[in-house]
Amino acid sequence: MKNLKGLLPISAAVILLFGCGEDFLDKRPLVDQTADTFFQTGEQAVQATNATYGILRRFDVSVFSYIGMTDIVSDDADKGSTPNDATFLGELDNFTFDASNIGPGAVWGGYYKGVFRANLSLARIPDVPMDEGLKTRLLAENHFLRAYFYFNLVRWFGDIPLITRQLSPDEYEQERTPTEQVYALIIEDLQFAAANLPEKSAYAAEDLGRATRGAANGLLSKVYLTRQQWQLARDRALDVINSGEYELLPEYGQIFTPEGEHSSESVFEISTVALGTGGGGSQYNEVQGVRGTPNLGWGFNRPSDNLVAAWPRSDPRRDATIFTLGEVLPDGSAVIVGDPDVANQRQNQKSWVPAGPLGNGNGGGNIRILRYADVLLIAAEATNELGNTAEAIELANRVRTRARGPLPKPFLPDLTAANKEDARQVIWLERRLELAMEQQRWFDLVRQGRAGEVMIAAGKDKFRLGVNELFPIPQSEIDLSGGMLRQNPGYE
Amino acid sequence: MNKYVTHLAATALLCCAAAVGLRAQIVSGTVTDAAGETLIGVNVLVPGTTTGTVTDFDGAYSLDVDGADSLAFRYVGFTEQRTAIAGRNTIDITLAEASEFLDEVVVVGYGVQKRSDVTGSVSTVDAEEITRIATGDVASALQGKIAGVQVVPVSGTPGASSVVRIRGIGTFGDARPLYVVDGMLTDDITFLNPNDIERITVLKDASATAIYGSRGANGVILVTTRRGKEGGGSLISADVYYGQQSLIRKIDLANANEFAFLANQLARNEGRATVPYPFLVTNPDTVLRTTDWQDAIFQVAPIASYQVSASGATDRSSYLVSANHFAQEGIVRGGEFTRTTARFNGEFKVKPRVTLGQNLAFSLRKAVNGPGILNNAYQGYPTLPLLNEDGSFAATNPVGNPLAQLEYQNSTGESVRIVGNVYAEYEPIDGLRLKSSFGLDRTDGKSENFVPVFFVSPLQQNQVNSLSQTRDANRTWLWENTVTYDRSFGESRLSLLGGVTSQESRGEFLTGSVQGLAAENQEFRFLANGTDSTQTNGSGAGESAIVSYLGRVNYAFANRYLLTVSLRADGSSKFGANNRYGYFPSAALGWRIDQESFYPQDFVINRMKARLGYGTVGNDKIGNYRSIPLVSTDVFTNAVFGTGEALNFGAAPLALANPDLRWEQTTSFNAGLEMGLLQDKLTAEVDYYVKTTRDILLVVPIADYIGADPPVVNAATIENSGVEVLLAWRDRIGRVGYNASINGATVKNRVLDLGGGQEAISSGDVGSGRLSTRSIVGEPVGSFYGFETDGVIQNQAEFESFPTRAGQQVGDLRFVDQNADGVIDGADRTFIGSPIPDVTFGATFGVDVAGFDLAVDFYGQAGNEIYNQKVTSRFNTFNFERRFLNSFTTDNPSNTEPRLLNGGGNYEVSQRFIEKGDFLRLRNVTLGYSLPGTLGDRLRVTKLRLYASGTNLLLWDSYSGYTPEVIAESPINNGIDRGVYPVPRIINVGLQVGF
Repeated sequence: MKNLKGLLPISAAVILLFGCGEDFLDKRPLVDQTADTFFQTGEQAVQATNATYGILRRFDVSVFSYIGMTDIVSDDADKGSTPNDATFLGELDNFTFDASNIGPGAVWGGYYKGVFRANLSLARIPDVPMDEGLKTRLLAENHFLRAYFYFNLVRWFGDIPLITRQLSPDEYEQERTPTEQVYALIIEDLQFAAANLPEKSAYAAEDLGRATRGAANGLLSKVYLTRQQWQLARDRALDVINSGEYELLPEYGQIFTPEGEHSSESVFEISTVALGTGGGGSQYNEVQGVRGTPNLGWGFNRPSDNLVAAWPRSDPRRDATIFTLGEVLPDGSAVIVGDPDVANQRQNQKSWVPAGPLGNGNGGGNIRILRYADVLLIAAEATNELGNTAEAIELANRVRTRARGPLPKPFLPDLTAANKEDARQVIWLERRLELAMEQQRWFDLVRQGRAGEVMIAAGKDKFRLGVNELFPIPQSEIDLSGGMLRQNPGYE
Repeated sequence: MNKYVTHLAATALLCCAAAVGLRAQIVSGTVTDAAGETLIGVNVLVPGTTTGTVTDFDGAYSLDVDGADSLAFRYVGFTEQRTAIAGRNTIDITLAEASEFLDEVVVVGYGVQKRSDVTGSVSTVDAEEITRIATGDVASALQGKIAGVQVVPVSGTPGASSVVRIRGIGTFGDARPLYVVDGMLTDDITFLNPNDIERITVLKDASATAIYGSRGANGVILVTTRRGKEGGGSLISADVYYGQQSLIRKIDLANANEFAFLANQLARNEGRATVPYPFLVTNPDTVLRTTDWQDAIFQVAPIASYQVSASGATDRSSYLVSANHFAQEGIVRGGEFTRTTARFNGEFKVKPRVTLGQNLAFSLRKAVNGPGILNNAYQGYPTLPLLNEDGSFAATNPVGNPLAQLEYQNSTGESVRIVGNVYAEYEPIDGLRLKSSFGLDRTDGKSENFVPVFFVSPLQQNQVNSLSQTRDANRTWLWENTVTYDRSFGESRLSLLGGVTSQESRGEFLTGSVQGLAAENQEFRFLANGTDSTQTNGSGAGESAIVSYLGRVNYAFANRYLLTVSLRADGSSKFGANNRYGYFPSAALGWRIDQESFYPQDFVINRMKARLGYGTVGNDKIGNYRSIPLVSTDVFTNAVFGTGEALNFGAAPLALANPDLRWEQTTSFNAGLEMGLLQDKLTAEVDYYVKTTRDILLVVPIADYIGADPPVVNAATIENSGVEVLLAWRDRIGRVGYNASINGATVKNRVLDLGGGQEAISSGDVGSGRLSTRSIVGEPVGSFYGFETDGVIQNQAEFESFPTRAGQQVGDLRFVDQNADGVIDGADRTFIGSPIPDVTFGATFGVDVAGFDLAVDFYGQAGNEIYNQKVTSRFNTFNFERRFLNSFTTDNPSNTEPRLLNGGGNYEVSQRFIEKGDFLRLRNVTLGYSLPGTLGDRLRVTKLRLYASGTNLLLWDSYSGYTPEVIAESPINNGIDRGVYPVPRIINVGLQVGF
């Protein structure tokens, strides 16, 4: 009996622990919400939609590889920086890349993360008990963003896996979906967005920067232009033009200053802000910023000699697009000295922002995705292809006139064209000069079916016709798909 | 203050007076060993009292026994002897040597065992071995002391801790061992003062660690702190040392002229129109003034430790009180560390069968963290001065001025930690002990980072000052209830252990920052003093809990056959409901062959024991909540909207979770043989082990088009195997005692499985998108992976006859075409080294004679490689190591150094940057002198020892960096020298006094 008495406290302890064991071990996260309690309120639906936008500021979505696969790869720009910095961009510039180049891998991963977020919201928001008007708008925003992600992906890679909902583990091995079906989804998404999004002016001031009806129609017009569906491209562009929501800024250079953010000319742009507390910036400005003195950035995306030579000497857009050594920064804060390790330094002025808090990596310059001038030129190109060259030239001359600004006409004469073919070349060149260093050139060249011809003329003689119009599917993705993904021709 | 001191002095005087007033009864005598040699330092005491003394240099003692009836004599390595005083005034005693290896008591998990009964792989290190090294880091004092325990300092930063690996690496995650300090389980022993440690015991194999279940897989280190010892009387001791630390060696960098020459050469190689130092071309005899940036940042720095303690014990109670202050500055300017610790250990037999006790440790750590300037010194131009003529900081290029960084960029940290437990033990009947122990471990930390407004150059400036502050608090409680029952019947001895334990941990932090403080003085550094619009704040918290049930049976039959069986069941909050509990069994057998009747009596091997153990243990170091899908929110879930460009909060469940998450499980087999030769003068121990870890947590990549971050899954398998050897010789020739021991261990590490069809885990980012390590099936974890090199392409003919990489030229590295397809590309990369040493070893030699004691420690490792990343990191033209002077040019057709460039193919991960990591270090030499007892008596001290010690005195290696000891906690990011802060050489002198 004596022994048993001693065992009592131990037995009591054992019972106590058995009794409370399961609750005791059930530690729920203290800070983070868990998935099972999310998508319950309208507020959470807004938060999830914000998360789809948030991805637009990412390095792999709108910054390094994005610039590499739009500007640097084209004849508008060279890699920039020092010769051995980020050699993968040099490979893109010179068409020596293969399927292991990290540029295509980066955008692929980044854009599909965006697709995942849009799909998540599109799947879950319909069941959220909330204001139906707001619900429809949020769904339309996610449709717009998903279309934007897929539009860039399909233009870079061609056939791609078309993911429209969260995959379960037994669906992880996917095949590529034909381009036609990808475009069908893009068009469907944008049509839904155009039908359900408010116009820019209908948004509250605090919602400026969200996708609008104009943005959806504008992007749709570009999709149709890419597909050479001229009438539809013209119709959607005219929807934007006739909406009364947009007009060109009087001065070209003003578009790319802080004051030019979300201007009357902005159809869609990615908002960023350099807060003292961080968290709202992107590195878009930094990677293209002046390398050396003043220290604004890494010095990538050097406007090429070919681009510089493309402008008439007196076109004000050249100066507004390019920084050269010895030039004073637009805010007068410094003279550009540059870096002795960089040969023939030259930078993209459109990506410039004045110094802000927390250093260059916290860039607050908005990333312009679709400008009204772009929409006018889409309308011009489509109209010309439909046979109305005079109207086409008139549309393009609106852009030309603004570029000229207060200068006398001879400095930048109006565009003229003798015939449809002539007008096509004139409008193509005007697109290049107007949208230079805005990540449009490569997609335009491929769309116009002359990427190879132009690249080889620009001295990029490694360009392989019929191959390099598309980028390789990242090798790691082929491996992880269990071999279900097939490589683009020429990259096997 | 003065009043307080006076009061103390008065109290002390009164005590002395009281002591003097007692009637004296003096017993004196001499203590010798069987050979007739006198024994110094033998404890002579009156059992059950605090009365006692120690023998002096001549083995003599003299003690006031105050009417006691017996005396006890105790000496390490000898059997205790008691004798009745019986009115004698002179008692001479001859002590018999004990077979210490049999009777020594070893701490094992949840109990103690006689060394001869131990069936697992268990090693111990005693206090005197630990305190020889001048360091604040207990773990670093273990370096080279135990076979199979690799200890590598993370850096030489003051107060830095060490990476400890027991028997290789069995995870891709956290490979830290579990520490158990006087029964408190923890992952961090930086609060411990080395002087407070009595002994460290390392449990290496699963049969020894299985009693710690889900936390035993990386090995267990048991730390026993000092307590009052019966028989020593009341002992007050002081132990102080002071030393100086210095850099062991500099890196061989170019001087100004050499740098300018190389910079010109590089500009030509890059095809630039102009060279940066044209005057050196036109006038080659120009002598440029060199700034040695390394001299500018390194210093000789002090290290010191001050310890006082008091201890004592009777048969009813014991106590130890200690206080220590440790202070260390960095050999790189700017870093400081101090730690003040106090400890109170006590045990009280409050009733004949009831014991209460407590261990309580307090530590206050303060650190000034200097800026990271090692790479500045490595990269900065030696042509540039660091100070202008007016003493201001000079603008430097292309890296910042390190002296200015020291001035402007410092952060501070401070933490208070209290670790302690109280326990009660009740022995209702002989052999049955019920024990309940409750412990708390609480840390409160704060850190601060302030950057003032400054301008050194456009590259190095700060226009708006900023302040950030963090507070964190971590607390753990542990409640352990155990019952043990020991009984002998016939030839059997049985010991049973059962227990229930529970533990809960919570950590939280609060952080804030602000910019634009109106004033920069220290007094104004509060978050309220900045610009409101720049304020940020954040906080977080996490919790975890474990409930465990444990049991063990030790059975010995006829003192020959030993059996240990244990089982622990752990339930942990970290794992999904589907796998919340894990069961960790083990079994071990021991056979004391020398106890067999057939064993020859006078055989040279007088002692022999064989051990065999097998068991399963786990690793739970995976972080909290990994099995629960969380809603993610970060910089890129928030979006910017509105005319005011406001941040709009965004969140979404983005990560895939794994509700089936469970422990990494290590199954280990161990076979050991222990021997004593020549009456245990020579002892030998050999162990062979195979440790297979399954279900290793891994993020198995999924295709990016799935769009979500992949979950953590239990997927991989890693095996470690090896042999450990310990040989020790201990003898005494006349008055000269001497000992020598060597230990060595091999580790063969390889990945057996990566699960789910994954081919490789690539890691070890070395910049420019290059990864330097790869873990694949069949190779060691985190092996270096890159191009094999075969000299330099010497000329056009060679260039044309060998396969080359796109963009290569004459003068570039020749990479080996592994797949012989005529092209050098990514497929030609191969395994070019491993960061895991094949062999680690240590050796100790000691001599004591005539009051002098000398100890010499060596430590080394072999068979590993280092990736010298700092050489490859060239985003700009930086300074060069002098070996670049041998770069390939047409005039200097080097076959080792390729043509000079800042980047490109020659900087691909290749053998060019792999260096041997083998080294042998003269770890420590300590020479001490203890005052003879007679002199000590006159000075009224029982111990007075003076010593001088040198740590890291000599290094034999072939590595070109500061130190070949390069490690990271992450096993797949290991052995990469990104500019490691080297451990210093330390010369210190110390004094130990006891009275």
